[in-house]
Amino acid sequence: MRIFVASLRKLVRRPASFVILGILIGLLSLILIAVAATASQPDAPPGQRAGLLLVTFPGAYTSILSFILGLGGLFAVIYGAAIAGSEWSWGTLKSAVARGESRSRYQLLSFAAIALMIGVGVLIAFGAGIVVAVIGANIAGVSTDGLSDAETLGTIPELLGRGWLATVEVGALGFAIATLARSQLAGIGAGIAFFFGEQFATIFLSDVVKYMPFNAANAVVATPGEGGFSDGGGGPVISSLEPNEALVVVVAWLVGSLLVATLFTERAEISG
Amino acid sequence: MTTDGLALATRGLQKRYGSRPALAGLDLSVPTGVVYGFLGPNGAGKTTTMRLLTGLIHPDAGSIEVLGRPFGRRDRHRLFEVGALIESPSFYPYLNGRENLRALAATGAPVSGARIEELLELVGLRDRAKDKVQTYSLGMKQRLGIAAALLSDPRLLLLDEPANGLDPAGIVAMRETLRHLASTGKTVFVSSHVLGEVQQLADVIGIIAAGRLVREGPIGELLHGEGEVRVRVAADQVEPARTILGGLATPDAVSDGADGDGWLAVRIGAGRAADVNRALAGAGIFASGLESGSDLESLFLELTQGDGSGGHEGTFFGVAGGSR
Repeated sequence: MRIFVASLRKLVRRPASFVILGILIGLLSLILIAVAATASQPDAPPGQRAGLLLVTFPGAYTSILSFILGLGGLFAVIYGAAIAGSEWSWGTLKSAVARGESRSRYQLLSFAAIALMIGVGVLIAFGAGIVVAVIGANIAGVSTDGLSDAETLGTIPELLGRGWLATVEVGALGFAIATLARSQLAGIGAGIAFFFGEQFATIFLSDVVKYMPFNAANAVVATPGEGGFSDGGGGPVISSLEPNEALVVVVAWLVGSLLVATLFTERAEISG
Repeated sequence: MTTDGLALATRGLQKRYGSRPALAGLDLSVPTGVVYGFLGPNGAGKTTTMRLLTGLIHPDAGSIEVLGRPFGRRDRHRLFEVGALIESPSFYPYLNGRENLRALAATGAPVSGARIEELLELVGLRDRAKDKVQTYSLGMKQRLGIAAALLSDPRLLLLDEPANGLDPAGIVAMRETLRHLASTGKTVFVSSHVLGEVQQLADVIGIIAAGRLVREGPIGELLHGEGEVRVRVAADQVEPARTILGGLATPDAVSDGADGDGWLAVRIGAGRAADVNRALAGAGIFASGLESGSDLESLFLELTQGDGSGGHEGTFFGVAGGSR
């Protein structure tokens, strides 16, 4: 518990926590406001006007969450890699091990703190997204009556829970990659490469890629057939897993990533 | 071999990095309650030894005893009584000094908040405790590293180049602190290149070269036994003097002194300067200069950089460079 609380304190003070969350909220805000402003123009083509769905409640709830999972997934892999990699780069893992701390426990509790931070980040980003979407709706002159749609509101806790788990999963992937690389920069680089590599692979291997971590994460909260916004806005439409099926895959990736990170740390020769 | 009364002992410790042996059967015996100076040239295996002693890496062969009990892969709890500063101090740059100590205190043995404040005071960082570590100088980071090593009030302290980056006042303060710790029964194991510092600080030294211990013992005894007497004679008496000095010690213990013409140096106990003078005078050779003494540097160089004539069993000369 001491390690978990200490890790949480470290993450709260860490600039990367705020920078990544700030960029995510900034991009989300920029897109929602830009879409609302352009789609509401009288001479906007029909395709562009469809963008208003992003700021139209209650559908905006799932759109915002999908965005957070899409681009947020990339940020989560970077975040997980940054935290795990810096433990090796800065030598702080070495200091903990030299004090007799359990390597596995240190890694797992450090990641537990990351998972909690990701959860808080998802909540803050989701809240900010709703506020911005309401502003966007007002700019576009779209009704916000759907904001209090009881049926949709009832599904949000589960969606947020699934979204959190999915984001944690890709965070764990970054954590494992950086642990294997023993480096912050190498971990971040490899995490980003994995993200874009998976997007690129959808062109050739869509049946396989749907089981890969980022696609499975997106599918956890996606409604069947949904494609665009959940992958950051530009990904190709691919066959997705059913949400519950995706949930199992996400948990498998999460457990696998943590297992790899822990086993590697347990057996690693720590130097530097 | 008994390890009773030892705070730290290694027997036949071996470690390889690929095909290169870093340690080739290291036998260390560190008595309890002393400052132990651990010396060796670059690449001799000092840092590898420190890593092995703190469980960061694991030996290929041999055994380690920490505070009288075996220390292996499953004995990490033994490190609760050990404090260590390995290589450079490691901290979160975006946290301040106090927060870094708190973060570290969350690992290993429990540490009270009061202990952290006490240590910040001890290392002279209380006024800068709220500043981020990334703004610290090298010396300040080193001081914080020493505070981190002392967090659990360890019975055994392992310090790798602790004087690195410290200013003269900091070095004196560190020396006093370490001496004080030893006087309270704690054991301080210091790896260093700064021989003068070790000579002032250590009670016992161990010198390694090429992964093996080449000399170990109380520093006073080693320096006394490893002394040198330098004598200056007239130029035409150098060769007869060399023969006489060779008879006192061994022929290969006599060499031309580094100070210039007419100087000869003989490796012999520093306390035997009078014997040297008497022997020369007895042969009608009167020295115009006579110096005796020894220092750690001479001993270190003799053991680690000589040509093999030192005759010390297990000595490896011509040590390969490159540290790990």
